[in-house]
Amino acid sequence: MGDSKSDVLQGTLDLMVLKTLEAMGPLHGYGIARRIEQVSGDTLSLNQGTIYPALLRLEQRGWIKSEWGTSETNRRAKFYSLSRIGKKQIEMETENWERVAATMARFLAPSN
Amino acid sequence: MDQLRTLLSRIAALFGRQRLDADLEEELRTHIDLATAENMTLGMSRRQARTKALREFGGITQTRETYRAHRGFPFLEQIGRDLRFGLRQLSRAPGFTLTAVLTLALGLGANTAIFSLINGLLLRPLPVPHAEQLAILMNSNSASQTSNEMFSGPMFRALEKRHEAFQDVAAYWSNRYQVRGSLGSIEVEGALVSGQYFRALQTPALIGRYLTSQDDQPGNSNGSSVVISYAFWTQWFNRSPNVIGSKLILSSTAFTVIGVMPQSFIGAEANFRPSVYIPLSSEPIVNAPVKMLTSEGIMWLRILGRRNPGVSLEQANAALRAATDPILNESLTDASELKNFRKIHFQLAAEPGSTGLSYLRSTFQKPLLVVFSLCAAMLLLACLNLASLLMARAAARERELATRLAIGASRRRLVQQLLMESLLIAVLGTTAGLAVTPIASRALVAFLIHGSHNVFIDTSLDFRVFLFAALATVFAAILIGLIPALRATSGDLTQQISNGSYARTTHRRRGLLPRLLMSSEVALALILVVGAGLLATSLTRLYRTGLGFDPKGVVQFELNMRKQPVQGEALQRLYQEFGDALSRRPGVSSVSFASAPPLSGDIEIDTLATPFSNGGQAIHINVIAPRYFATMRIPLLNGRDFNWQDTQSSGVKVILNQSAAKALFPGRNAIGQLLPMETYEAKSKPFEVIAVVGDTRFRSVRQPAPPVAYLAMTQSKSEHPYYAALIRLNGQDAKNGIPPSFAVAARNLVTRMAPEAPAPTLASLSTQFDNSLTTERMMAMLAVFFAISALLVTGIGLYGTLAYATARRTSEIGIRMALGAQRIQVVVLIFRENAWTAVCGCVAGLVAALFASRLLASFLYGTSVRDPWVLAASVTGLLAIASAASLLPAVRAARIEPMQALKSE
Repeated sequence: MGDSKSDVLQGTLDLMVLKTLEAMGPLHGYGIARRIEQVSGDTLSLNQGTIYPALLRLEQRGWIKSEWGTSETNRRAKFYSLSRIGKKQIEMETENWERVAATMARFLAPSN
Repeated sequence: MDQLRTLLSRIAALFGRQRLDADLEEELRTHIDLATAENMTLGMSRRQARTKALREFGGITQTRETYRAHRGFPFLEQIGRDLRFGLRQLSRAPGFTLTAVLTLALGLGANTAIFSLINGLLLRPLPVPHAEQLAILMNSNSASQTSNEMFSGPMFRALEKRHEAFQDVAAYWSNRYQVRGSLGSIEVEGALVSGQYFRALQTPALIGRYLTSQDDQPGNSNGSSVVISYAFWTQWFNRSPNVIGSKLILSSTAFTVIGVMPQSFIGAEANFRPSVYIPLSSEPIVNAPVKMLTSEGIMWLRILGRRNPGVSLEQANAALRAATDPILNESLTDASELKNFRKIHFQLAAEPGSTGLSYLRSTFQKPLLVVFSLCAAMLLLACLNLASLLMARAAARERELATRLAIGASRRRLVQQLLMESLLIAVLGTTAGLAVTPIASRALVAFLIHGSHNVFIDTSLDFRVFLFAALATVFAAILIGLIPALRATSGDLTQQISNGSYARTTHRRRGLLPRLLMSSEVALALILVVGAGLLATSLTRLYRTGLGFDPKGVVQFELNMRKQPVQGEALQRLYQEFGDALSRRPGVSSVSFASAPPLSGDIEIDTLATPFSNGGQAIHINVIAPRYFATMRIPLLNGRDFNWQDTQSSGVKVILNQSAAKALFPGRNAIGQLLPMETYEAKSKPFEVIAVVGDTRFRSVRQPAPPVAYLAMTQSKSEHPYYAALIRLNGQDAKNGIPPSFAVAARNLVTRMAPEAPAPTLASLSTQFDNSLTTERMMAMLAVFFAISALLVTGIGLYGTLAYATARRTSEIGIRMALGAQRIQVVVLIFRENAWTAVCGCVAGLVAALFASRLLASFLYGTSVRDPWVLAASVTGLLAIASAASLLPAVRAARIEPMQALKSE
């Protein structure tokens, strides 16, 4: 693990998945993982496997739903998409995260 | 909401696991394929591309496990697997399973049975709404350390008027009352209750209405009302709905039935079931000629209060403290009495009353707790025993467990799995135990309250009993399983597997823990045996001490002639005629009467003094008919018995027992002396002592014989005395209790000669003697039962572990014998194993027993807690059991053929 890469913070992966689905529409697991890697610009060390428990968690909460479909290479794949609840949830989660980030930023800012 | 959805989704995932697993597999495969394909477009070879894809994915197995853990309830699924595995393991060793389950069923069943007795007696709340608001009123004073729960009538009436902290306060008093019906009179349990009684208990009547304050008005003697119990309604009125308004003749007075209480209602006392509830204001009528209600001195009423909602017990107590003085002022008209009460700091107080009142509690609480401790010790012993057996069994599975550890099973998993097995055993044991618990506890109750048909202890199973059983089960499971499980999965086993052969393993170290367990078991068994020995010895001594009279063959019944329209000498003649008629019956050897028959507890005590006595002496007074001493077989040491010619006019006579003679006329011959007894003198003449008789114990064998002065009933000046008949039956007839023909004859005689008297209840004095020792007998019997079980279990345990250890040492013994060891040496070798365990256990147990037996001290009669004979016999007994348990394995070991033992290796 390189020094410049950081681990995925607990709880942030869920939001990343939700945001990815919001931006891209229905997507399979590999697609979601790749998209997260691309967006984060390789600053994140993500074991692609970890998104599957995250997907399960979100599906259990009813925020996303899944459906079997066919991939661009003609393979059977499970496609995930946002549910109605999930769309509403994104706002709340985003706010939440911004609050945390802002708080952290205040701590990290040079004190005067 | 999210949690709920997650939970539902997890539950759904419990079903169709295989399909979900297949889906996951496919999804993961797709992921890797897609990644590989993308990598190949970048110009990698298929192999390189796949390797990179796998690397970027991370651990596939890990992902799969995490995924599954989130999907369903992995913990539950695991438990399910462990359960099935445990059941398979247990069914593979049915002998062991049966032994274990039966041992635990005995231990847990006995504990639950005794707990349900304790629950019924001490814990179960009264079946009324919000029982927790109930309080029992007490009074304390500085003169006596203990507090008292009895109050006088005026005191209660004063309290009834001012009870800020309580919604309702109610007084009651339980007694037997005579009810007249078409088939003669019977006596029923009844309670005198004050106006707020039913309101305080918040239980509406089943039909009609309950008694209220309007029914409890002084002077409300015309047409008093009465409420009856469900049982009495069934028995007396055949559950007729028209019962309201019926007349009931109670103590020769007509009462009107105004209500029937529901079946669940038992009144304010936990162990008593009144049949009739009578307004307190009717006390002077139903108790006539006694009149207690207006007496300022007689403390007889028990008071129960229901606290206002939100009022704590402390606040109620503070309110009662503040109310004490005005209540005393109002209820004591005599200024000097009032001063007395103030001087001793008489104080009202409230105690928690959710369980109602019960006089049984004080009698049985301590013995029951002792029995419970003994029983718990037996359960502990059974658990230790099973732990040793399980440990031996786990040793047989060493290879299996070691292999599983070696290929990566976590120790926690294995321990969990082994514990599941012991939990299974414990649950099976508890279930079997619970099946017999109601029978066992009912039998115990029947034994405890044998002879008192008016006492109830409700031992039915309720949530407290089940909770107790569940806790005991878990406790037992952990106790049985944890040590063997930890032991079997400990690290040195892996060494063991690499060592391979059993013959070379170091025996000493491996043997320490089992020996420790077995020694503790022996120690516990010794404690139980010593306890049983002490209690049994004490009981034997109680029986041997005897009462000073011969209770065998004597039948007693109360002959209540209070309602009989005769008195004075006519009444005495009636008693005499009745006695004569009875003694003419075949099989009767003699008949007499006494005002205070032994073991009854009712006695008058007077303070008497003579010029020679050391001040006033408290002497029991018993008024008797002629032939009393012959009937009771009390030795007449000197002088003559009373006879029917000793009348008031012939000069008053008294007979003393030895203690009384010694107290009143120390160092003199009491015969012919004069004894002043002002209370009893008809014509102010002192009584002449005409005889001295042997001492007898009165209340129980435990208490020393009191000094007694016997007066002749023919010289009694009491207008309406009340005697019990005592009849000695001939040896042969009395052997099997009371002959039914005699009982019928006695009852017919009463109906014919005294139609107003209730049908007598016959009791044999030897049964009463047994009953007076019920608690002692119960403790001794149960303790002996536990001790025998403990000895058996310990014996089996010692045998089992030794037999197993010996079997494991077969090759070692083979080598020893091949090297020239004699068979007798082998026997000694094996024998020594248990001998050490037993000796260590006995020493530890003896020390513990010396401390523990102090708890028994207050129950022992004429027996020291360090009775050397009991201690020696207990140790000998245990050592004998241990030796017996060693014999078979030792002999078996000595038969080992060295060649065969070595070949089998």
